[in-house]
Amino acid sequence: MTKLLATTALASLIATGAFASELTVGAANVSSYLDPGRDHSNVGSQFYYNAFDTLIAKNHDTTDTEWLPGLATEWKLINPTVMELKLREGVKFHNGEDMTADDVVFSLNRMYQADFPPYQVRARDRLGNFEKAEKIDDYTVRITAKRPEPLWETLLNLQQVMIIPLDYTKSLAGDPDKIEHDDYEAFSLKPVGTGPYKVVDFVPGERVVWERFDDFWGEKAPLDKVTVKHMPETASRITSLKTGEADIVTNIAPDQLGLIENDPDMKAAGSATALFHVMIMNVNHPKLKDPRIRQAMSLAIDRDTLNEALWGGKAVVPSTHTLKEFGELYQPELTTFEYNPEKAKELLKEAGYDGFEITYDTAPSYYTNGVLAAQAIMEMWAEVGIEGRVNVQDKWSGSSADMMARNWSNPMYFADPFGSFGVMWAPHGPSESEGRFNTDEDYAKAWEQFRFSGDTELRRAAYAELMERIKQDPPVLPLYRPYESWAMKTNIDWAPKPGHIPYVLDFRAGSIAVN
Amino acid sequence: MLTYVLRTLVKMAITLVVIVSLVFFATRLSGNPVDFVLGEGITREDRELLIAYYGLDASIGTQYWRYLASVFSGEFGLSFLERRPVSQIVLGRAWPSLKLLLSAVSFTLIVSVPLGILAAIYRTSIVGSVVMVIAFLGYAVPAFIIGILLVLIFGYTLNWLPVIGDGSALHFIMPTLAISGMLVAAITRFTRNAMLDVLSQDYMRTARAKGLPEWIVILKHGLRNASITLLSVIGLQIAGLAAAGSVVVEAIFAWPGIGDLLVRSAILRDYPVLQFGVLSVAIVVIVINATVDIAYAYADPRIRLAKG
Amino acid sequence: MTDVTQTSSSRGTPFHIPMWSDANWIVRIALLVGLALIVVALAAPLIAPFDPNDQSLISRLRPPLGFERYKDGFFLGTDELGRDILSRCIYGLRLTFALALAGSIIGLLIGGTLGLLAGIAGGVLEDLVMGMVDIQIAIPFTLIALLILAVMGSSLDVMILVLGVYGWEQYARIVRAEVKKLIQMPFVEAAQAAGATPLRIAFRHILPNVVSPIVVQFTLNFSNIVILESTLSFLGLGVQPPTATLGSMVGIGRDYLPTAPWIVLVPAAAILLLTFAVQILGDWLRDKADVRLRTR
Repeated sequence: MTKLLATTALASLIATGAFASELTVGAANVSSYLDPGRDHSNVGSQFYYNAFDTLIAKNHDTTDTEWLPGLATEWKLINPTVMELKLREGVKFHNGEDMTADDVVFSLNRMYQADFPPYQVRARDRLGNFEKAEKIDDYTVRITAKRPEPLWETLLNLQQVMIIPLDYTKSLAGDPDKIEHDDYEAFSLKPVGTGPYKVVDFVPGERVVWERFDDFWGEKAPLDKVTVKHMPETASRITSLKTGEADIVTNIAPDQLGLIENDPDMKAAGSATALFHVMIMNVNHPKLKDPRIRQAMSLAIDRDTLNEALWGGKAVVPSTHTLKEFGELYQPELTTFEYNPEKAKELLKEAGYDGFEITYDTAPSYYTNGVLAAQAIMEMWAEVGIEGRVNVQDKWSGSSADMMARNWSNPMYFADPFGSFGVMWAPHGPSESEGRFNTDEDYAKAWEQFRFSGDTELRRAAYAELMERIKQDPPVLPLYRPYESWAMKTNIDWAPKPGHIPYVLDFRAGSIAVN
Repeated sequence: MLTYVLRTLVKMAITLVVIVSLVFFATRLSGNPVDFVLGEGITREDRELLIAYYGLDASIGTQYWRYLASVFSGEFGLSFLERRPVSQIVLGRAWPSLKLLLSAVSFTLIVSVPLGILAAIYRTSIVGSVVMVIAFLGYAVPAFIIGILLVLIFGYTLNWLPVIGDGSALHFIMPTLAISGMLVAAITRFTRNAMLDVLSQDYMRTARAKGLPEWIVILKHGLRNASITLLSVIGLQIAGLAAAGSVVVEAIFAWPGIGDLLVRSAILRDYPVLQFGVLSVAIVVIVINATVDIAYAYADPRIRLAKG
Repeated sequence: MTDVTQTSSSRGTPFHIPMWSDANWIVRIALLVGLALIVVALAAPLIAPFDPNDQSLISRLRPPLGFERYKDGFFLGTDELGRDILSRCIYGLRLTFALALAGSIIGLLIGGTLGLLAGIAGGVLEDLVMGMVDIQIAIPFTLIALLILAVMGSSLDVMILVLGVYGWEQYARIVRAEVKKLIQMPFVEAAQAAGATPLRIAFRHILPNVVSPIVVQFTLNFSNIVILESTLSFLGLGVQPPTATLGSMVGIGRDYLPTAPWIVLVPAAAILLLTFAVQILGDWLRDKADVRLRTR
């Protein structure tokens, strides 16, 4: 009876599963819109790489930086601020249009010269140095930067400058011959790119369906069809692997890994994701103005114990704000952040800390282990005499003058310290503008050198100087690189590739195999 | 009767206007979407830019006026997050929710009315006690615990039932059970109590004295009279379930329902979705209530006459 | 609840306080359980073996006594931060008890008063009250809770307010319906004819007769609030961590149901006991308070 029931119950599911090249992914979160330009969220980054291409591609099998031809086959600097790119011929968009310089110029300028607010917001923090893109001929494009740019390839490999079709986008809303804001809004519901999979169905927040794009310019996609479904509840997500309703599921917390690993039908894959969970502190809060108090808040936190207890030791605790992916700018030798409760106590005493309450905000479930870490940190603060209180709320308090401390994540938007620390902590950047961080002339000078110098050694030195400033007057503490896991059926071979930005679901050729 | 119906309609309209206005002002009082989802880690100028883009920079009065104007023209706006018409979003979620609600209500009535009658008749015996203990379990365990336990038992361990979405009839079994627990408990108890009230009435004694078989007495006279009280309670409970929805159960079974949508849009302050969603739910609830009211009035002559 | 001890109902049948000897075995068990829970809740600081918020990160997720990896002294195991489940349950029970009681009483006071007024006064007042009821019913409660918490901030006081607002409309509807039924009963009409003031009629003749449905509603409301608080925790809207309530332990701990079930099952069992006791007692009181049943 058991067998019979199971057979009939799952007959249809098994039938679809029998097609080895169809796959269902259970995702804890599904995007509300799909436009690589306006998006930089951790949820969104899952969805773009399968359907879109950048001009310059990257070898994602390694954390080393290795650029590959993408939609551009060659590129060269014709002077320090102008780069010329030859475009690949015969590239088709999912709607059948040919990709030409017009599409590329449009895609780039929609960010470089943005007048659509969501693009403006996204372009400002990372693409501010780019003036314009111009068409030279149908397959040649020139890009002009305002100042000499040390990160040309990096900034042409960004998700935000993935290439989208001009004519298609124009035709979406209003006047079919003009680009209007509504065209961009409509695009984010019906996205079209050049990647190996086309989006055939998208219900915001619920599901994304990709199908193989047979006219893809590169190696064809290994799967016929992939359906990503929203499955918010952990227990159900894991169970869906057992019932055959999903083949891969996302966001498996470290505490659930044992369950997966002890089950012969499932396995897990994961990595220390290229982002930091951080604690940010408001340097301008009246009670936290004294840097010694913030230093103490930071020194009191035993991040190694957090890692051991909450992440099974699989997270990575950094000594400074640096990631292995930064290549030549990876500087693990710097010691910006450490655990030293004795010193914390001393500093508190010197600063005359009188036991006032320090609140620590966290969203209820956005960050894996976020609320647990917050509570553990309160206990660690208590050890040195800091009176802490966790405040769980969904509101982003980072722009509020009342915010004292909160958790956040600082993703690596691209593989350079500018793509991680730099985006958030630039002079007049988001953190300063939100009023919880201050910079002065010296800081700005060091930052300029770190951002724009063509000499790697100078960039390293400038970055080290910035880190020293952060150490002396800390606005942030990177807690760890979280270890993020995916679970899958044993017949699936998939793992996050080391060269990607966080959370990318990469199902391109060579990235996934179904046995 | 006509005036009564008219009165009900006017009341419904007023209620809806008040609800829409309440939700409009309460949500705006509680923060804007830029602070909840769109605006993490952007500069102050960019924040202003987005606020202006979404039309949130106008005074609250202007926004309210714009909103009312749009409602009367049948345009309910675009979601801040998804940028598609809220009517499309909400209606897409309404049908799955309604199906689950119907499923839960049918299941509840089939199970709990007979149980309640049993518990009333055998009030003093072990049968009555056992029924009440079983019924009360539904009340004492949160729906999400029932839901997750069902998932772990029938999905994870036994692989009998699918756990994700509303794809087939089998998909309804576990969400229906999880959602009905509390409803079964409530209706069973109310049925029992209503029956107890009725069983001791004089007309029951009269019926028995007439020599009718006990089950006819109970069903014909007892249940019919008890159903007047029951009707309002059941209506209330169903309306409550329709309103509170089943956000928790929807989350567990990845059910594309309206409860999940409302809570998510409330958390993210996606006002247009929230406003239209609440309005839609309110209409459904009010219609259920009005139906119950009319049925109630019809069933109970005293009220019918009193209301003229 | 003083109504229950009214010395006479309107029909003049004397009411006597329910006695142990009237109770059947289930009621007796419920009484004992209820009493035990009250004692535990009141004496929490004396009974709990540990501070409920004391963490031990190196001994997280330890199972209860009798299982492998059991940690000495932590009879019911430890939670995801190595805190003692037993101590958290004891303190959680105390807070849950307080929240549910406060919430139910507030709801009863608001809803009962409005329902009584609406039923007796009728007219515009009735329309107004019932209009408010309709509005309350038609707005999803989680939404109301979410907005109240967002505007007023999340603290225990606000949580009591939220839980108090919950369910008032049910009391109001039930009381009003009963009142409207009663008001046309011969004994009320007789009292009116005898020149009794509305206030006297309300308290002397009507109130004692709506006790039965109110008692039932109160016990339902009490359990509902315990569950509601748990649901709010599930949604991340419950009491702020690390404070434990039975509901929040279940709501937050649910992810551990497959891997460390004791984190959820122990407080869930406590909720079960609590609501069990409350409801069985409620039913019993109701039966005892019901004039007609008693005289049958």
